[in-house]
Amino acid sequence: MSETKSAFGGKKILIAGEGGQGVQSIAEILARAANEQDKFTTYIPNFGVEQRGGVSLAFLQIDNKPIGYPKFDQADIIVAMCNRAVEVVKKYITDESLLIYDSSFISDDKIKILQGIVKKYLCIPAKQIAQKELSIKVANIIFLGALSQELGDLSAEQIKTAMNNQFKSHPEFQGMNKKAFEKGLQYAKERLNQEFTGSKPKDIQKLFEDESKAWERFPEYCKGCSLCIISCPQKALTFGQDLNFLGTNLPQIDLNKCIACGQCQKICPDGAIKISKKSS
Amino acid sequence: MNNLPKSWKKETLPHKFCPGCGQALALKILGYAIDELGIQDKAVYGTDIGCSLLSWNMFDVDTIQTHHGRATPTMVGVKHANPEAIAIAFMGDGGGYAIGAQHLINACLRDDKITVILINNANYAMTGGQTAPTTLIGEITTTAPAGRKIEDFGRPIHGPEMLQTIASDNAYIARCASDDFDTTLKYIKKALQNQIDGRGFSFVEVLSMCPVNWKKNAQESLDFIKEMEKVYPLGEIKVSKEESVE
Repeated sequence: MSETKSAFGGKKILIAGEGGQGVQSIAEILARAANEQDKFTTYIPNFGVEQRGGVSLAFLQIDNKPIGYPKFDQADIIVAMCNRAVEVVKKYITDESLLIYDSSFISDDKIKILQGIVKKYLCIPAKQIAQKELSIKVANIIFLGALSQELGDLSAEQIKTAMNNQFKSHPEFQGMNKKAFEKGLQYAKERLNQEFTGSKPKDIQKLFEDESKAWERFPEYCKGCSLCIISCPQKALTFGQDLNFLGTNLPQIDLNKCIACGQCQKICPDGAIKISKKSS
Repeated sequence: MNNLPKSWKKETLPHKFCPGCGQALALKILGYAIDELGIQDKAVYGTDIGCSLLSWNMFDVDTIQTHHGRATPTMVGVKHANPEAIAIAFMGDGGGYAIGAQHLINACLRDDKITVILINNANYAMTGGQTAPTTLIGEITTTAPAGRKIEDFGRPIHGPEMLQTIASDNAYIARCASDDFDTTLKYIKKALQNQIDGRGFSFVEVLSMCPVNWKKNAQESLDFIKEMEKVYPLGEIKVSKEESVE
């Protein structure tokens, strides 16, 4: 019996994130890459009725022998990409499971829930790396890179080929995807700064005010649709660096330009903006 | 004004609609209308299938979720069982104008004292943007990749204009766009008032952006609403005679 072959006894992989983070894209890439390498593969996407938003799950199995059933209730590798994913993936964790999570996006109090349950983990500040060095859109590819390291039996080259095929219609992202992939791979290899913690609550400024008006934003509701920005008659709103609950950019205000007309509050479908005039 | 209507359930937020959804905007305005008329304890909210069902837990009012345009007859039943209730049927163009059109037409013919709010976003949004009765001529959808043609799909439906021809003198019928907060609030309030005053059937069609299925960004979506307004003119199409006398 060759050792290397039996070491790959099949992997059950669960990937979870917000709809729109690219969960299904990376699952599909892995499934295609595994299929190309003559593995037995199943991939089941699982999400709610929403077109966007809500937790999106991908159930992926890669094996050397036929797979009996595409779903599972215990996962070997779990990828958690957002806060809401943590509670969903909890029941799939066993003592043998490896949890790969975004330590720059999942908050510390969520990670605390998993303390004692998770025995093996790999934390990657994917959102931070993507935002600082690449583009927020390729954060999922960093996880794909890390996954390819953990799935030693699949060749990283094959996964990269599958990735390029997946995004064939967006050649402008090819270079960035490659970089993101390498980052993830490197992180998984070197296991830099491994500590079982999440992101410390960064104080996001919610209230902006001067003597005549107060403008308030709600990161827990904002979905970053930009309707407020384009509807502002004074062009007082722009996207800032702070992120909302979906991990997209929050609008910020230039109070010097704002005339407190209330248009941004009226047009916001999510109730994420409140403006009030101060009577003095 | 608070950033959220009082009649919205805070614990179910953030709601399930896509970023930039016009339907969520219409529901926010409906929430303010319920607040301003003070009918939160009397209102019964009936939502349909499609994206509109995502609002099943949005309001802190009695809510019923039904299928395929059946929000209208269900709300008629609610109104018959409890004439004190303010019955609000909320649906999309697929439910109201396609599979459930008969309910809408007959409720209008019977002059049932309910309020129907219908979202017109020119496609079937939840199922991925297929051609709906309201899709514009030439508009590209997943089932009309070369654009909607009259030979294949017929002409777009003009719901309020159609209902106007069969509505009683007591009906209130209007069309507005969800990006115009003040007008939409005014029309929805008038429609609800028509029911509160026991006059007759009231109907508001709200043009609404669907950036995800239209594959447009926020600015392009607002521009497309303007295109829709050329085909579906805005305004009050029928005002109850009693109200116009007052």
